[in-house]
Amino acid sequence: MTGGIAPARAREAALLGAGAVVLTLGAGALLLLAGGYDPVAAGAAMLRGSVGSWNTFVSITLVRSVPLLFAGLAVALAFRAGVWNIGAEGQLYAGAVAGVWVALTFSGLPRPILIPAVLGVSCVAGAAWALVPTLMRLRLGIGEVITTILMNFVGIYMAAWMVHGPLQEERGVFPQTDRIVEAARLPTLIPGTRLHIGFALGLVIAVALAFMMRRTRFGFHIRAVGAAPEAAAVAGRIDPARIVFIAFLASGSIAGLAGAVEVSGLTYALYENLSEGWGYTAIAVALLAGLRPGGVVITAIFFGALRAGAGAMQRDAGIPAAWVDVVEALVILAVLGLERVRAARPGSDVREGET
Amino acid sequence: MQLVNGRRLHWRIRPVVTLLVAGLVAGCGGESGEPSDTLRVALLTSGPVSDAGWYAGAYDGLLLIEDSLGASISHQQTATPAEFDEAFIAYASSGYDIIFAHGNEYQDAAIRAGEQFPDVTIVVSGGGRISENVAPLIFRLEEGSYLAGMAAAYMTESKVVGMVGGVAIPPARGTFVAFEAGVRAVDPEIEVLEVFTGDWNDVAAAKEATVAQLSRGADVIIHNLDAASFAVFQAVREVVDEGNVAYAVGMNSDQNAVAPDVIIGSAVIRIADAFLATARLWQSGGIGGAAIYANTEQDVIDFVFNPVLMDRVPAEAIERIASTKAAIRAGDVDIPRVVFVEGEDEGR
Amino acid sequence: MPVTSTFRVWSSWRARTKAASVSEPLVRLRGVQRRFGQVHALTGADLDLFAGEVHGVLGANGAGKSTLFNVLGGLLAPDGGTIHVDGVPVSLASPRDAWALRIGLVHQHFTLVPALSVRENLALGTRGRSLDEIGQAVEATMDRTGLRVPLDATVASIGVGDRQRTEILKTLLRDPTVLVLDEPTAVLTPEEVSGLFQLLRDLAGEGRAVALVAHKLDEVLAVSDRLTVLREGRTVLAAHRNDVSARGLVVAMVGDGIADEMALGVHVDAPTGAGAGAAAASRPEVETDPEARQVVAQLSGVCGERLENVTLDVRAGEVLGVAGVEGNGQHELALVLSGRRPPAMGRAEVPDEVAYIPQDRRTEGLVSEFDLTENIALGLARLDRFGSGWLMPWDAMGEEAERIRTRFQVAAPSTATLASALSGGNQQRVIIGRELALGAPMLVAENPTRGLDVAAAAYVHGELERLAAEGVAIVLISTDLDEVLGLAERVVVMSRGHVIDVPADERTRAGVGALMLSGGGEVA
Repeated sequence: MTGGIAPARAREAALLGAGAVVLTLGAGALLLLAGGYDPVAAGAAMLRGSVGSWNTFVSITLVRSVPLLFAGLAVALAFRAGVWNIGAEGQLYAGAVAGVWVALTFSGLPRPILIPAVLGVSCVAGAAWALVPTLMRLRLGIGEVITTILMNFVGIYMAAWMVHGPLQEERGVFPQTDRIVEAARLPTLIPGTRLHIGFALGLVIAVALAFMMRRTRFGFHIRAVGAAPEAAAVAGRIDPARIVFIAFLASGSIAGLAGAVEVSGLTYALYENLSEGWGYTAIAVALLAGLRPGGVVITAIFFGALRAGAGAMQRDAGIPAAWVDVVEALVILAVLGLERVRAARPGSDVREGET
Repeated sequence: MQLVNGRRLHWRIRPVVTLLVAGLVAGCGGESGEPSDTLRVALLTSGPVSDAGWYAGAYDGLLLIEDSLGASISHQQTATPAEFDEAFIAYASSGYDIIFAHGNEYQDAAIRAGEQFPDVTIVVSGGGRISENVAPLIFRLEEGSYLAGMAAAYMTESKVVGMVGGVAIPPARGTFVAFEAGVRAVDPEIEVLEVFTGDWNDVAAAKEATVAQLSRGADVIIHNLDAASFAVFQAVREVVDEGNVAYAVGMNSDQNAVAPDVIIGSAVIRIADAFLATARLWQSGGIGGAAIYANTEQDVIDFVFNPVLMDRVPAEAIERIASTKAAIRAGDVDIPRVVFVEGEDEGR
Repeated sequence: MPVTSTFRVWSSWRARTKAASVSEPLVRLRGVQRRFGQVHALTGADLDLFAGEVHGVLGANGAGKSTLFNVLGGLLAPDGGTIHVDGVPVSLASPRDAWALRIGLVHQHFTLVPALSVRENLALGTRGRSLDEIGQAVEATMDRTGLRVPLDATVASIGVGDRQRTEILKTLLRDPTVLVLDEPTAVLTPEEVSGLFQLLRDLAGEGRAVALVAHKLDEVLAVSDRLTVLREGRTVLAAHRNDVSARGLVVAMVGDGIADEMALGVHVDAPTGAGAGAAAASRPEVETDPEARQVVAQLSGVCGERLENVTLDVRAGEVLGVAGVEGNGQHELALVLSGRRPPAMGRAEVPDEVAYIPQDRRTEGLVSEFDLTENIALGLARLDRFGSGWLMPWDAMGEEAERIRTRFQVAAPSTATLASALSGGNQQRVIIGRELALGAPMLVAENPTRGLDVAAAAYVHGELERLAAEGVAIVLISTDLDEVLGLAERVVVMSRGHVIDVPADERTRAGVGALMLSGGGEVA
């Protein structure tokens, strides 16, 4: 006789959540007022810069959401299996470096071979980056939270070294690689916009993961191991170590894909600071989505819109970057509050879907 | 223009936010409603404009253009290459005339945006690539740095001077090459130490590097850093407080007032003046297809002594630096530099 | 015996309450309601607790006993109903509120911190005293109550029995005037149970009110002054012990129809153990000569964690009873026998598929955030008859889940109910239903009736016997001696990892009990 939320407490939670939304948005507005900025103009700029027009939504918001979509799916998959992969950032850089290397080294290959090669090798690189923490967990019993965080630093600096050293542009002047050939660049998804097929690939992976989790034996095993490893082993005779191994590496490959897709879809060259911490934001993306692949699509677009709107707040409402960061954080808090309201609705504790 | 169409769509399908949009039009000046002959200038930086240096100078330039030319201005701080593209597109598609992209990191995105929006002009500070409407703005800081090297040579007693840099990009390496040449022009025997920390803003790394050079006997330290420059001054100040004689040299902007007790002088880029001059050049139709150089000739690059410590500077030094500055303007001094602009020749 | 401050506080309280009217209950609950999602755990429970009495609370699984006690302990806020303490209406919104009224709850599920020592865990419940002072108070309480625990061992390293004693001590240290115990006897040896009951009687004799849930009817009847029976979340009977019969109580617990259907008579009129024994005696024999039956599983020289050179045969159609004090290697034996863990050394020949009822249903038996269908699928989806493709046979699993839910009378609105929303007994029904559906030649059951009520326990026993009659080999591992003696035809004792055969003439409580302790007893 445990679990569940009494209606009284559900009401309480709903009130708390609603209060959190009002408070955070109110606090954001007050903060902007105190700084001498117009909160209405700020809000309008944020909306217009993210969903103001079809082209804005597609070319900015959706484009921004692509790396978050991949990294968010990677994190959601790992967390579902009970693997606390905080290392999507490093895996992303590993994938980006490997993808650029393939694109630069095999630049003579035709597009139908080169693009899959770039993406495939980036998957392998992301998985390789996850392999170290995986083996340390399974063989040595070292928690992956610490090891994946440390591997992030290795990944970020490895990429920085690459653009200063082995992969630096031919002229040897700036810390960046040469631009990759046309044949290695992802085609545009919607003509006239900046959105590349990386977004569609992300959607395909989301659908595939959702299907896997819900319909396949392997996905069921992942959910069982993630929810209760002892029960999975004893009642389900599943080998948790095997599931952890596969899920961890799969998570790493999807995160690696995030890096390669960003490079071959958007920047066409590798730079330092390719990612603004997408691997970390992805944790919020995945958690807010309840670790559901379908949900990750929504939350990745939400965070993409937020970042897009943040840029517009600077440009159009003249609000400095630091203030914009604070407002952004407050919006995320408000959404978490809303999510709490949704989760506390009566009856929702009986069954949560696991898309 | 796409945004105008978008706005209409927005009104139609999202009546809920019309109130907010109405507020927007009132609140931010309604860019599309303004007369088209107003100069519109945007600035992109990848760091905060509160750094009292490289980025702050650019922002001052933006404000100067607003004041002097009546331009409408906007600024965005961006972090990732993906954001660079987005910001260029956003500014270009809303009708901005000039976009100052303050750092070589913007150059690839600038070329892309330039192709897509032929009507906009993009000026990339320290950039290396040129197209019809994308021009690098090259600050010949080597000239000021050379003069700073001469000053350092006159001030050092230990005959060891140090250089602490951020990222070893060509413009930064160029300032150090010139600094060293300036030192040797006065006294070829002086030892010159060099280190790059790999980060413009890493205070801890910069301080560590400075302390290391001081402990190796250096008593004049020049830097090429952004926010981390404060750490250099602090490290020098700690040595001075212990009763030693040591100096720092400011860089990029006039930093003399930042640490008047230890800075002997600053190699200055008057970024704001350079921006204003560039904007005027645009108005006269003079930008396109070539790099823009800013140097001592227009007084955009300079070396200025710190008036507080002026009394410690030998008269000979003041005299020699003034005459060298005149010689540089006349083109009579061969200052070594690192070439990085596409197709750049040895001339100015 | 040192006179503790505890005792002084207690005496002053008693002086106060003695003056109060005898007919006024210390605690009075009326019409208490509580819902979990769609499951109505309490629909109208009443309970009166008087000073100086031991009060037994009875009910089938899911009747709401634990919920009611959690309400009393301030752990769950009721959705409706009233609570009076000393005639004053109160709100018990948190355990702190309950403690302010000196109501102490001993949990059914352990609330100890595994990484801390027993002493530190005891200190957690008492504020403002140093570890030494607490140590003295603990020693005094252990002397007074006879409950002994290894104070310096970490909770993770001690057995379930010690953990239970620690829980009880932790509550007693705070000197409750109302002591509420949810299932305190499930993991204790028979001697410990009688010791605990003596303690409860003494505590009541001091003027406290003691309420307990225990699933064994004879135990409850032996210790209680008054009884309350819950059925489907409401109080259906409240009476003095002398005013009710065992039969009457069972009927109240399960209702008339089900009582007959489950053929409970044999268990009700006699003590549980003897009842099970009677059932065993009447079982049809598969093969009269036990030696002639086929060996289903064979361990020889098996060593491993808590297993010392174990050699054991299990034969088709037999019930092999494994007795022993908790933590002497039974769980490890179960894992090896059921094929869940390979032995570190030695040879283990076990069938490919072994049905296994683990002792910890909440972590090993079920995934609490899975619904019934998913929990059924956890065990059954791997069977050949559900195909071997890479897709989950959800349709078949849904049908299996519905069949098990109906057949094993799982009190859940549908197969989409989460396992965490089920009571302990209903969780056990799901596990048993699933494991029986495996159709395995051997079943390993570890404390399969722990925490179950009389009816459910009888049902489980009946299933085990039926399976044995069908030729399935049953290994019944239990800390409940009555259960082992009642069901098993062959008994071994586990002590410190060793398996000791119990000769036929030693198969008595005294004989087996002596063997259980002779190996050195519990791991200290």
